[in-house]
Amino acid sequence: MLWEKKPQAGGPEKPLPATAVPPDTSALEKPEKPMTDIAPRATPSVSTQQSSTLGRSVVIKGELAGKEDLMIEGQFEGTIDVAEHIVTVGAQGQVKSEIRARQVVVHGSVAGKITAREKIEIRRTGNVVGDLVAAGVAIEDGAYFKGSIEILREGRAETPKAQAATAQVTHSTPAIQTTRGDRS
Amino acid sequence: MLGTTARSSSGALPQGGPLPSFGLQWLWQYLEDVRYPQVLECGPLRSVTVRILLARCGKLYRADLVSPLERQEPALWDRSRKAPLFRTEVLLAELPSLSSASVSVILCWQLLDLLPRDAVSDVLLFFHRLLEPGGVIFCLLREPRLEKGIESAWRMESLTTLVREHEGSKPFVYPALSNRDIERLIPTGSVKTFLTRSGWREVLAVK
Repeated sequence: MLWEKKPQAGGPEKPLPATAVPPDTSALEKPEKPMTDIAPRATPSVSTQQSSTLGRSVVIKGELAGKEDLMIEGQFEGTIDVAEHIVTVGAQGQVKSEIRARQVVVHGSVAGKITAREKIEIRRTGNVVGDLVAAGVAIEDGAYFKGSIEILREGRAETPKAQAATAQVTHSTPAIQTTRGDRS
Repeated sequence: MLGTTARSSSGALPQGGPLPSFGLQWLWQYLEDVRYPQVLECGPLRSVTVRILLARCGKLYRADLVSPLERQEPALWDRSRKAPLFRTEVLLAELPSLSSASVSVILCWQLLDLLPRDAVSDVLLFFHRLLEPGGVIFCLLREPRLEKGIESAWRMESLTTLVREHEGSKPFVYPALSNRDIERLIPTGSVKTFLTRSGWREVLAVK
């Protein structure tokens, strides 16, 4: 060891001299607040570390409502309402339910209507039969989905013409063979 | 449900590049005045296709009718008789519940080429009932010279471009459909055809 401190011969270490000046921490000092003025640390209402899990062996029928994130690994039948939180259906989860949440992520099986204020994600192992209503929906390749998808739009001024422009429509003359009278 | 555990294959052949689809260009120009059309998509699930359609349509209905036919799902056939009978009602039961005249566009890709000939009329009549007046069925039909490729797959790259994910090497089982066949099977409306160089043509039947 290169930096091993060699014991001083002849006794313990010498104490600091009385003239040693402690470091100036005035710049780091924060004004003291009386205890009554210290506000408790606010817990965000939308991101909470609290969550509940229905384990794999759990089978529940009924109505489930809550104010925290929910992970379902077992079987659930009924309705789920966790409006401001996230519902995750695990790979082993089987849900026959209407789900209302802020965000829903499906790795397992869901049969029923899913309504999410923000987003619905169906992962590769997901199997969903039902209607989806959300501001955004993402379905991975390999997932199974049958039903309808409705996107919640907040009155944005996206006209079909603007969307067609972004799709880079070309107006070159294609090879057209019409077999009946054109309606256009 | 038919074959819910089977996943879509990625294909062994190299992926082709995006190709402009004149049929889809015509389709979206035709629907220019429809702000949020309702679309029924009947092909294998592709995340890109879903995302592109959701940006354009108000409501997207989805059910994969193509993959069960490619896999020759046993539930689609009644083999209790001497001649196997195709059970069209089982295939159409895969669709989500839809009311008549509620859909603006039906994208059925290569579905018609996978159906037995006596089932094509039933499926087209069913689709015709789902279409609202002025609605369009978009399908891909093979040219008679194309003998193989029953498991070909497409996905949208944009609203007006398609990518052929793999060409397929299995032979087609049923004879090719002609435009005259489609005209005869669609009760009312007109048929538009856009030819391509890939051996498939894009056919749009307008109600």
